Amino acid sequence: MPGPTPRQRLASLFRDANAVAGDALIFTLATCGTYLAQSWDRPISAVLIYLVGVTAIGARSGLAWGLVAALSASLVYNFFISEPVFRFSTPSADEWIPLIAFNASAIVSGALAGRLKDSVRLARTAQEKNAHLLRLSDELQRAIRVEDVARIARRGVPFGRLRGLEIFLARNGGFLPAEGGSLLETADLLPERDDAAQQPIGQRILFLYGAEGEIGLVRFALERGPDPYYDMPDLQGIAIILGLAIDRCQLLERLSENAAMQKSEELKSAILSSVSHDLRTPLTAIEAAATSLQSFDQSLTPRDRARMLETISQQCRKLNRYTANLLDMGRIQAGIPDILFIEVDVIEILGVVLAAIREAYPGQEIEKHIQSDLAVVRANPAMLEQVIFNLIENAILHGNSEQAVHVVVTQAAGRCVLEVLDFGPGITADEQPLVFNKFYRSRSATYREGNGLGLHIANGFTEAFGGTIRIVSPHFEGRGTKIAVELPLTDVSVHQVGSWG
Amino acid sequence: MGMNILLVDDEPAIVTALSPVLQSQGYRITAAESASAALKAAELEQFDLALLDLGLPDADGVEIIGKLKELCRAVIILSARHQEAEKVRALDEGADDYVNKPFGIEELLARIRAAGRRSGMAAPGGSTRFVSEELQVDFATRDVRLLGEEIRLSPKEFALLETLCRHAGQVVTHRKLLIAGWNDPHADSQYLRSYVALLRQKLEYDASEPRLILTEPGVGYRLEASPRAE
Repeated sequence: MPGPTPRQRLASLFRDANAVAGDALIFTLATCGTYLAQSWDRPISAVLIYLVGVTAIGARSGLAWGLVAALSASLVYNFFISEPVFRFSTPSADEWIPLIAFNASAIVSGALAGRLKDSVRLARTAQEKNAHLLRLSDELQRAIRVEDVARIARRGVPFGRLRGLEIFLARNGGFLPAEGGSLLETADLLPERDDAAQQPIGQRILFLYGAEGEIGLVRFALERGPDPYYDMPDLQGIAIILGLAIDRCQLLERLSENAAMQKSEELKSAILSSVSHDLRTPLTAIEAAATSLQSFDQSLTPRDRARMLETISQQCRKLNRYTANLLDMGRIQAGIPDILFIEVDVIEILGVVLAAIREAYPGQEIEKHIQSDLAVVRANPAMLEQVIFNLIENAILHGNSEQAVHVVVTQAAGRCVLEVLDFGPGITADEQPLVFNKFYRSRSATYREGNGLGLHIANGFTEAFGGTIRIVSPHFEGRGTKIAVELPLTDVSVHQVGSWG
Repeated sequence: MGMNILLVDDEPAIVTALSPVLQSQGYRITAAESASAALKAAELEQFDLALLDLGLPDADGVEIIGKLKELCRAVIILSARHQEAEKVRALDEGADDYVNKPFGIEELLARIRAAGRRSGMAAPGGSTRFVSEELQVDFATRDVRLLGEEIRLSPKEFALLETLCRHAGQVVTHRKLLIAGWNDPHADSQYLRSYVALLRQKLEYDASEPRLILTEPGVGYRLEASPRAE
């Protein structure tokens, strides 16, 4: 309900002029009717016609205009219609009655019309206030955080005499502005000295209530006005709606905090159980081998001794890979900045990985199908090494130990595709989306010694390089898993080595 | 032999594990557990080699490489994987090589031997030939033989191979190879990758799984061949 603009003021003047013209027309018609009735010697009809006219004007334009019409009607009746015509005369007893009737009907109809108009205006104001509240509560439905509530609430002002509002949240015995700022004491918020004559704006403070009582307060800034009701929005209603919305947002925040906490608890216990298994198993083997060598060195055959020593160094390498995986998991969690990325040749890194695989899994057969001499991508070399190592190791652990693991590198449509294929039992369709999860271990029977991190890391690093990873299983006669990593090639790899030198 | 080695590591277990083995190989070992102790020891005694762990209690190991290199003839870094940037920085600071932790003793001994050879060869004039079990390179006549068979190399290929041979067993950074081949440390490393691929095609049995010219991801290349004593 903002103040009228000049244009609106002009329009309302025009409406008033229209109404006056209408009243004048009614008055004129009534005068003519009365005059005709009088000339046909029907004095009662004449008075009644005038009465109808005055009543109509009273009802149309209210008490004041009704009285004006009644007075005019008395004068006109006295001057033009009642004997002696064209002269004001002291009314006879007969003529008092129409005069009283005119004024009485004007008063009654005007008062009634005024009341009606008042209640219409009242109803319209109430409707506007309701609409304002409804709009507010509707918009607040979309608020997720308390700051949203404050922002949305401010969008609804100015409304009538409401010029502004601020929301404060109850915190540690004081009040915190919802849209940022320092903690205020309750005393700071109490209304300053209210000098009505000096200040055009006053304020009002209302508490906000949630399910568990007071959750804050709202400070309304209000323009002073003469009318106590019409321009004053429903502050209590606004406060209730704000209280509900803030309560809901705070509940939502607490819920998501709980969910995050639960997730991190789950991760912690997964890490703990993984550490206790994957660290302890190799440690146990190392401890057993080392103490055996210590205690029974003389009685062991040279072959046994060599085997134990080999066990120790093998398990050490395994521990090293496992800790590397744990660290990599942390890296993925923290986010990998691409400042670490440089141009790397996938085929060169594959060569490095194959050397490490042959050392870790001697005797494992690997078949390579490498289409090109160079495949340059943007990546971190050590992380790319880890991706490829994990994929090949995964294929060795879950594949068929009788059959070779295949590694295929091709290029197509600006991408380098590296595929690692095994011929194990494969991964079922419902298990496929899970294998990239942290600490997920396959349910399959051939599970030997994975730590549930290999594919998670391969996936996380590949995505960090802007690539994709996907599983095709089964890929060969109902068996086998193929995992394909696709990485965007940098434009330099378009050159082939053959054209050089 | 009898190289004099300064072992800089604050972890007693590492010192305890390495000292007897290195001594059994004929090296003399002095241990220092901090950067300041290392510098003090190096000022008192001439060391042929410093084995430097980068995670020291009183300083970042990289910061003392420069000073240490002035006092010792060679510096080898003990570094964690995944830290190529740190390795490159250490090599740029003057370190000669690095070993990834955890390492096998054979790997460490190979690096120490390579560093010893390198500082022995650094005499004026240097060597004119490189001869290993499978590879023979004559730096003057540019004659290259693999298992006795002549290999024809372009001038750039030869320049790269010569640099790798002169540092046999040691890492050679991309930067050093770019200077050797193109006389410009900022040349496109794509050239380098392409020429190394060409060299591998000519020298390796399987270029996709090299055994002679190894990749040090993110750092450089290493010629895995030890020269025969002539």
